[in-house]
Order: sequence, then structure tokens, then C-alpha cells
Amino acid sequence: MLLNAVNMEFSPRYHHTAEMLQSEQQIIEAAKQNPEHFGPLYDKYYKQIFGYVYQRMECKDTAFDLTAQVFLKALTNIEKYEYKGVPFASWLYRIAHSEVMQLFRTKKNLKTINADISDLRHICEEVEEEYMEQYKGILMQVIKELPEDDLLLVEMRFFEKRAFKEIAEILDITETNAKVKLYRILERVKKTLTKKSK
Amino acid sequence: MEPKFNLDREKISDAEINSKKDFGELVKQFKQQSIEKAKNDKNFLKNKKATYSAIIAGATVICTVTYFTVFKKQPPKQTSNDKITTTQNTTSTTTNNKANKAFIAPPVSKLNVPYTSYKVNSEKGATIKHHSDSKIIIPKKAFIDKEGKDIVGDVEIKYREFHNQADIIASGIPMTYDSAGVKTQFESAGMFDIRGYQNGEPVFINPLKPIKVEFASTQIADRYNIYELDTIAKNWTYISRDNSLLNKTYNGSSNNEKQNAHNKEQITDNKKTIELQKQIDAIPPKIEVEKTTYSKKIELLPKTNEPLKPSKSIPGRVQFQLDVNYKEFPELAAFKDAVFEVGSENKNYNSELSKITWSSADISEGPQKGKNYLLTLKLRERVEKLIVYPTLSGNSYENALSSYEKKYAEYKKLQAKREADEQKLKAEFEAKQATYLAEQKKLSEELVRERIKIQKEMEQQLNEQFSNMNNASKVTRVFNVSRFGICNSDCPTKMPKDETLNPVFLVNNGTKFIQPNTIYLISHSKNLVYEFHNEPLKYNNGETYSICIVANGKMYVCDKNSFATNIATKQNKITVTELGNDIADAADLRTALGI
Repeated sequence: MLLNAVNMEFSPRYHHTAEMLQSEQQIIEAAKQNPEHFGPLYDKYYKQIFGYVYQRMECKDTAFDLTAQVFLKALTNIEKYEYKGVPFASWLYRIAHSEVMQLFRTKKNLKTINADISDLRHICEEVEEEYMEQYKGILMQVIKELPEDDLLLVEMRFFEKRAFKEIAEILDITETNAKVKLYRILERVKKTLTKKSK
Repeated sequence: MEPKFNLDREKISDAEINSKKDFGELVKQFKQQSIEKAKNDKNFLKNKKATYSAIIAGATVICTVTYFTVFKKQPPKQTSNDKITTTQNTTSTTTNNKANKAFIAPPVSKLNVPYTSYKVNSEKGATIKHHSDSKIIIPKKAFIDKEGKDIVGDVEIKYREFHNQADIIASGIPMTYDSAGVKTQFESAGMFDIRGYQNGEPVFINPLKPIKVEFASTQIADRYNIYELDTIAKNWTYISRDNSLLNKTYNGSSNNEKQNAHNKEQITDNKKTIELQKQIDAIPPKIEVEKTTYSKKIELLPKTNEPLKPSKSIPGRVQFQLDVNYKEFPELAAFKDAVFEVGSENKNYNSELSKITWSSADISEGPQKGKNYLLTLKLRERVEKLIVYPTLSGNSYENALSSYEKKYAEYKKLQAKREADEQKLKAEFEAKQATYLAEQKKLSEELVRERIKIQKEMEQQLNEQFSNMNNASKVTRVFNVSRFGICNSDCPTKMPKDETLNPVFLVNNGTKFIQPNTIYLISHSKNLVYEFHNEPLKYNNGETYSICIVANGKMYVCDKNSFATNIATKQNKITVTELGNDIADAADLRTALGI
């Protein structure tokens, strides 16, 4: 069945227990009082945010610069941050997304899609098509032509291997909604794949 | 431009990532940024001369104190109220920046959407109900002055809304959105402009206490994003996805409607999909049952043993003659006259053994079943074991060979039949398995189709429900406003491209040409207005439009029927009618445009 066929492994990096969330919240409150207390959050999430940014572009240096900008923005706006029962990372990801999109608005040639061949296989499996070499080019083209929001979902699910819960929290939508959206995207991908491979 | 696609790009090591981490630098930048902001705030400088001097002097300690003062007080990030302007005289906002004046330019002042003023006690907060049914929820102590201090006393809130194409045109608010260099036009689900003043001076929203605007929108679709107008960058800033509908804040909707809205997000099963799923799940066990059945059938096919070929006795080899119980060793029946040769593998054999008269000699199965035997010779305590081979000579051999050949031919025949039967059974199983798998695939496809159908039906149902609802305030869209200015819930739409028209505009029944400054192409199928300046008009086939133009401070319109005739006849001379003095506001403009 679509969406369930592939047993993908997801990184547990995002998941937080109630205790972890509580402890994180204490750090955030401290950072609101004094920016020096932001350090543990910076250490904890630097790699994740860099990964998110670099996933979407070619240039490593630009990705590092943008990551720095994301954290600067987070620190600047931390007073506005409101705990909503989800990891602080989801807020950081939203800032990162906004920064990345802002950059692409002015320099659209920087946008890159980065994936592993195994990710393409996963997509094939998900749409119940046996992966064949000839699909590689077609799939890449189909993905390139996806609308921005759809591409984001595909990237998060297949290339970054995020759980639906995580995707939903980052995009501020419900988990079901994320599933429904991806389901529809995959339906379209399958249709195109079938059509173009004939 | 299509993005580049990298496959299997080299990963960056953790060490490299960690090497770029620099929290000290982050804090340094943050402090510097806070000080810069403070420096750039004219009013801050005016009122904090001493502090500013200290900053300039570069005294680090004071810098830090200043930074904390600023940081704690949280003055607005941008004094956007100072910068957002309109050319309407009635608006209180002012600016010295000429470029900004042109950015929001109502085409005809008198048509501009007016503000409604409300008085709110800053310390108490309030919930304002606007005449459109929108609500402005202001928390206690939501306002601060330019120095970041809480406002005491009454604050005047000026608020106005833009719901339709006429409002958009009348307001002069640019609805073009530049996304990554791609120019799009906003299809609007509604827009508002909110400002705050005390004694004529702008006030600011405390970022920690945002104002909530529950905007009564007439657009029910779920495809909009929230944007803020950045009058400095002269573009809209994307804030977030408008999830108001997903959060199900329908104004006045019943529980039933909320439930339906909730259902919209889910892949819901019905009886048919449940049945299909059951059928799909039942197929793998069926295949397993067939597999077991056929394995058993194959197992039960008659087995045949290959007959043994007799060996010919070779003169000169060491041989024994034995009395054999042929019932115990039926395969030796063919060797009635057999002699047993001692195999060369018997390292313990020597000629002495043949001279002993053994008290007992037993024969049992050898290491090579049917080919050799184990001969056990005993004399009191002595036991010798020899591997022996039955051989024949002369006629006995010939007879045995002839018998073997017959049996072997029979064996081959039976063997071929067995193999054929086995293949047949295997083929039968594979055919059944293929049928099951084909059925499973068919059912899965049907399930997917059915689920899509359910999804579409639910969407349609929801849309119908909304359409049947009272026309006013169909949907509440929620905005959290932490900065005064203009916010909208819009969806970027591509510029039309199907057809191009170089229009010539005529008035006075086609007797006089006019040169427009701005052409508005008004979509009647979407809440959308395209704006053209000194460029050919572009439109899409199959859509309904009307035209509004501005020339020399006057407005002219061409209604949708007249413009449809122009499109149908590919006629570029468009006759427009001047809007008279009876058109007093945006509502009149809406009527004139036939929206």
C-alpha cells in the first residue's frame, strides 16, 4: 500500500520525550533572559539546521553562512518563541526554510536538489514500481518539475528521511494532512513515471 | 530555472561541520546588531543621547548595558508604521520617503477604502468587532512607545479591510509578488491594514503580546499563505502558510461542518475500501495454502531408485566368496554368483587374512550405498573390517548386465514421467500464484482509486457546504499581528500568458483615444487583479475578465461582456466608460465593474 510499503528508517534525532522537552524549555526561557544561555540550543541543533540548509543547495560555504544567519535570527527573535509542545527544532527549521527561500528568491540558480540513488529507489518502491535504471532520469526530471511545496515534502520525506510527525510539526500542518499531500504527490509521480516509461 | 539535481553527493564530515560552529561569534553578531538597531532609531538617539555617546565612545561595558536595555525593552524590530504610507489624505501615516509614497498609490483618492477608528485602553486591552464581522483581539498592555515603554491610556486603532478586486484597485496596494525572480500576482483571500496611534503619534505592538485578528474572509479555499507588506523592500514577505482553515476556525459553522472539515484532511475508508483491503489482505495466506498443497503433491509423486550396474570381475584381484542372505540384501540377488573383491582402500588387508578360517563373516552396507559393502570378519577376539565390491564374471555378468539394462530403461522412463509430473504441478502452482497476485494488484489499484474518489467527494461536499453557507463571513482567518501594517492571506498566481493584446482605449463612444497610466485586468473567476503598465495586455483563454484603466487621475471601465466581445473578435480597440461622480467609494466601483 502506498506510504506504508517501504520500511524506511528514520533518525530519532528529532524525537523528544516529555522530560527532554521540559528541559529544553527551561534553556529557552533562560536564553530569553540572557543570549549567552542560547549556547546549548546552538550546539544541539547546529548540525541539523546546517543539514537542512545544505540539503537544498550546492555551495557548502553559502550553507554555512546561511546557517549562521538562521541562528542569529533565532536568537534575535527568541523572545517571540512560544512553546507549542513540539521540539524547538521545528521553530528553527521554519526560520531556516524562510531564510533559504529568501535566498532563492534573489539567487534562484543556487537551488539544488540532492538525493541518493537509494532515495529514488524508495520512491519507486513507494509507488509500487520496480526500480529500473531507465527510471532514474525520468524520476529526477519529475522531481525537478514539482511545485515548491510538493518538492519540500518529497525532500523531507525521502531525501531527509523525516517521520511524518516531524514533517507536520515543521510545516505546521497535521500529520494526516502531510500524509494526504504526499500521497497525492506520489500518485502524480506514479502516473508520470508510467506514462513516460512507455 | 530548473534546479540542479545531484545524485550521491559526497557527505560532509561531522568534524567539518563542527569546525564551523562558533557560538561566541553568534553572540557577538547579535550584540552588534542590537546596538546597530539602537543607533539607527532616530528617536532612540534623541532620547538616549548619553547612551548613544557612550556607544560611540566604544566603552564595552556601557555597550553591553545599552544592548541589554534595548534588548529587554524590545522596541519594534522595524518602525514600520513610520514607513507604510498611502497617498490618501485621510490616513495619518506620514513619511519623508518619496519612493514609498509611490509604492502604495490609490488611483483615485476618493475611492480609497477608509479606515475605521476604535479607541482602546492600552492597560485593559479589548476585543473589537469590526462591521465586517472580523474581530481584533488586543491583549492587555499590548502597546509600547518608540522607547519600548508600555503605553498608558487610550490608543486609537485604525483598521480597514480589502475583500474584493474593487477594494484592491481602490487601495492602490501593489499585489505583485516577486518570488525568486518570478513575478506573480496575488489571488486574495482578504487583506487588512491596521495601525495604532496615541495623540497622533504612532505606537507599536509589544512583540510579546501580539494582536490577534480574526479576519472574516469570503474566500473559502485552502491554498493561501500569510504575507506582510514590506514597504522598505517593496515586496511582500512570506510569513507562513495560512493554516486557519486547517485549524478549523469557521465562523458560525456547526459541529457537523467542523467534522466535515476535519474529514477533509483524512483518507477515510468506506465499506468498499474496507472490503477491498480485506480481500487484499486475504491473498497472501491463500498463496501460502496453495504452496503447501503443491509441495505435498510433489512430495507424493512415486519415487524410483536407480538400478545398480553390475561390476565385472577382474582376474588377479583378491576375492571372497560368501553365502549371502538375499532376502536381507535383495540387490545382491543379481549377484548370486558374485564374488567380492577387496577394495584397494583397505590398508589393513594382507594376504595373511585369506589364510585364516574366520568363525563369522557379516556383510553390511558400505560407505557407497549399493556399490560396496562392509565385510566384518571375526575369530575369537580378532575383528577385521574390509570394504568389498560385488563382481560377476562370464555368463553371470552378461545376464546381470542384461537385466540391469532393462531395469535402467524402465527407471529412466519412470524418472522422466516423475519430472514431467513435478513440472506440471509447479506450473499449476505458479499460474495460481500469478492469478492471485494479479487480483491483488487489481484490488490495490481499485483501493487507491476508491480512496481518491472518497477524498474528492469529501472536498466537493465541503466546498458545497461552504457555498451554501451565508455569504457573509464564511471563514475566519486568524492572523497574529506583532507589527502594525498591511497583512494578507493570498496565493501567488502566474501572470496570464495565453493571448496578447495591444489595446487602444477609446472613450466618448469610441471617438476619443486615451492613454492609460495603469491597466487593471480583473479576473471574475478568482479574487484577482492583474496590473499592466506600458506593456501589452495578456490574458488566458476561457476566463472572464473586465477592464479598469486609470488615465490622468480618472477611472474608466469596460465591463466583462464588452471585453468578452473584444476577446472573441480579437479587436484591440476597447471602448471604456468614464466613472462619474456617482462612484463615491470602492463599493460603487465594485458595482461598476460587475463583480
